Amino acid sequence: MTDTAASDPLAPARDREVLRRRLRGYGLLSPALSVTIAMLALPMAALFLLSFWTQSGFELDRTPTLANYAELVRPSAEPTVWFGIPFHLAYPVPAILMVKSLVMSLMATLAVIALAYPMAYFLAFRVHRHKALWIILITVPFWTSYLLRVFAWKVVLGFNGAINSGLKTLGIIDEPLEFLLYNPGAVVITLAHSWVAFAILPIYVSLEKIDRSLLEAASDLGDSRWQRFRRVTLPLSAPGTVAAALLVFIPTVGDYVTPTLVGGPGGTMIGNLVQDLFLKQNNAPLGAAVAITMMGIIAVLVALFLWAIGYARIRSRRL
Amino acid sequence: MQRIKFIDRMASGRVSRRQMMQAAGAFGVGALVLPRRSVAAEVLTCLEWGGYDSPDYFQPYVAKYGAQPNFSIFAGEEDALAKVLAGFAADVMHPCNYSVARFVNAGVAKEIDTARLSHWADVFPSLQAAEGVVMDGKVVMAPADWGNSSIAYRPDLMPPEFAQNPTWAIFYDEEYAGRVAMTDNEMAIVIGAMVGGMPYDEAYKLEGAALEAAAKEWGTKAVNTAKFLWNDSSEVQQAMASGEIVAAYAWNDLVANLRAEGIPVELAAPKEGMFTWFCGLTLLNTGKADEQAAYDFIDAWLSPETGKALIEGSGYGHANIKAFEIADPQAVANMGITDPVEMMKNTIVFKTPTDAVQEGFNKVWADTKALKY
Repeated sequence: MTDTAASDPLAPARDREVLRRRLRGYGLLSPALSVTIAMLALPMAALFLLSFWTQSGFELDRTPTLANYAELVRPSAEPTVWFGIPFHLAYPVPAILMVKSLVMSLMATLAVIALAYPMAYFLAFRVHRHKALWIILITVPFWTSYLLRVFAWKVVLGFNGAINSGLKTLGIIDEPLEFLLYNPGAVVITLAHSWVAFAILPIYVSLEKIDRSLLEAASDLGDSRWQRFRRVTLPLSAPGTVAAALLVFIPTVGDYVTPTLVGGPGGTMIGNLVQDLFLKQNNAPLGAAVAITMMGIIAVLVALFLWAIGYARIRSRRL
Repeated sequence: MQRIKFIDRMASGRVSRRQMMQAAGAFGVGALVLPRRSVAAEVLTCLEWGGYDSPDYFQPYVAKYGAQPNFSIFAGEEDALAKVLAGFAADVMHPCNYSVARFVNAGVAKEIDTARLSHWADVFPSLQAAEGVVMDGKVVMAPADWGNSSIAYRPDLMPPEFAQNPTWAIFYDEEYAGRVAMTDNEMAIVIGAMVGGMPYDEAYKLEGAALEAAAKEWGTKAVNTAKFLWNDSSEVQQAMASGEIVAAYAWNDLVANLRAEGIPVELAAPKEGMFTWFCGLTLLNTGKADEQAAYDFIDAWLSPETGKALIEGSGYGHANIKAFEIADPQAVANMGITDPVEMMKNTIVFKTPTDAVQEGFNKVWADTKALKY
């Protein structure tokens, strides 16, 4: 290194230029970077730090320890059986809720994709005029608060709600259906509806980008409509679909408003436990540990998912 | 003009990086150095139960300050306490006789100087000296409202046998699954233990393995039997009005509110016992508002007019003796017992658990709820 630097008189100037460019890059990034650091990285670091402390009564014990994480995996000889699955843990609640939240979110995500894909397909291939208007119309539900939309579902699914009174008027049922509200199903339905518009847009964009001549070529070469969809449209829209799935799955795992309002006692999710630990049990360190663990598990799952479907391959094919 | 020129030059890309940095720096420094606009005195912040944020209950305060204080609504005292401990700056809190000690022990409560409360002299003497109002010789809660916790039920939808022999057991009975609503509170475990034959004096201080066993048996039953666990009274009132649920753990206000709408509803006197609570206002040391405003708010709550509104509107009792003189005689007669001491003799008065017991209850109750599917 020193040899080349000595032999090349222009090297210091070039190094300065590289450094200057790099600094300029960070300078241009700085507004976004500072917001990210202040609003995301710092709170996250605080949460991380908090998870290594412990709560004793009203006091916070600041001695760093792994006790909170140990509590989450402390084994117990007597298993707690939940849905036929034995959990050999002394404090099984976080683990059980984690599994439950992941399953519920997965169901909501599948429902969202099933709803959003046809809508996006219609928008991309069948709508030719006023596309912007259609897209705006899809976002109309987002003009009201999230809370209002959740409450609307409470009205729809409720005991004297739209579905029950409708079915009663039609004479199909005599007694209101009890299983609509206050269970995990209600949470999944509400989440699916709330997030569907988020999924339509990325799927729509990837469908819109598909070169129409590829579809024509497929038809010319003898593909049926279904074959053409399966072999051309679906693979080419995969990046958008995957993005949409992640966009829905990741935030819904930690949701706590929806389960609070429509879930009843059986619809609790991991977010409710974190909220309860922070705001009711006054055990913020354990709550932080649960939140950090949840984040880790989701990150691992998402990485596994992307690896399993060969996301890198899908992305490179798009180019 | 200078400003427009600068923007124009910037838009056309004729501003050097140095000039840009200068301008941005000047703006930043200016924003920091310029004096902040002076703000009016901090508004009083109160931690309140849902429904108690109605101005009917603190009219004299509104008359004096021309505006309502800020409210933060809580569903249970433990939520409120955790919020305060997490840094929420509240001036006044509305705890009850059994929960005020938590705030005192946590070091967030302040002694109340009763000389600064104009209505203090009219408060029932028994309440002035009651446990929970006075702790270690200091007044920590100004008693304001009192009432019952019991079973509210729809006589038209419940079997007549229940009316003859009301019992808390319905909240743990498979037969009532999906038709009753319990409160989202560890009381579900305490009452369950009482249904199982344990007296309240033992049940409220369950600890350790005994608590876990009680939670496993009674807590689980309560969670599985309840249609939902209610957190705010309007939720349970709506469900009861529609007939979605036929009985619920409730306070007097549910009965008063539903009757006002013409819906038949009764407050039962269960054989295991009916509960009495009395609540009041506690000064917190976390607040930022003027202390006088906090005293004015507490004094407003103690006024006989507030008592009149409570008695007539909710069927609750009030701490001010004079409230019963100016309230509608019919409403007073509907209450039955108007002396808090008399009421406490005939019912179970909620007791204060130790901090360790309370924290144990908080944990097992959260775990019990989480395990339902």
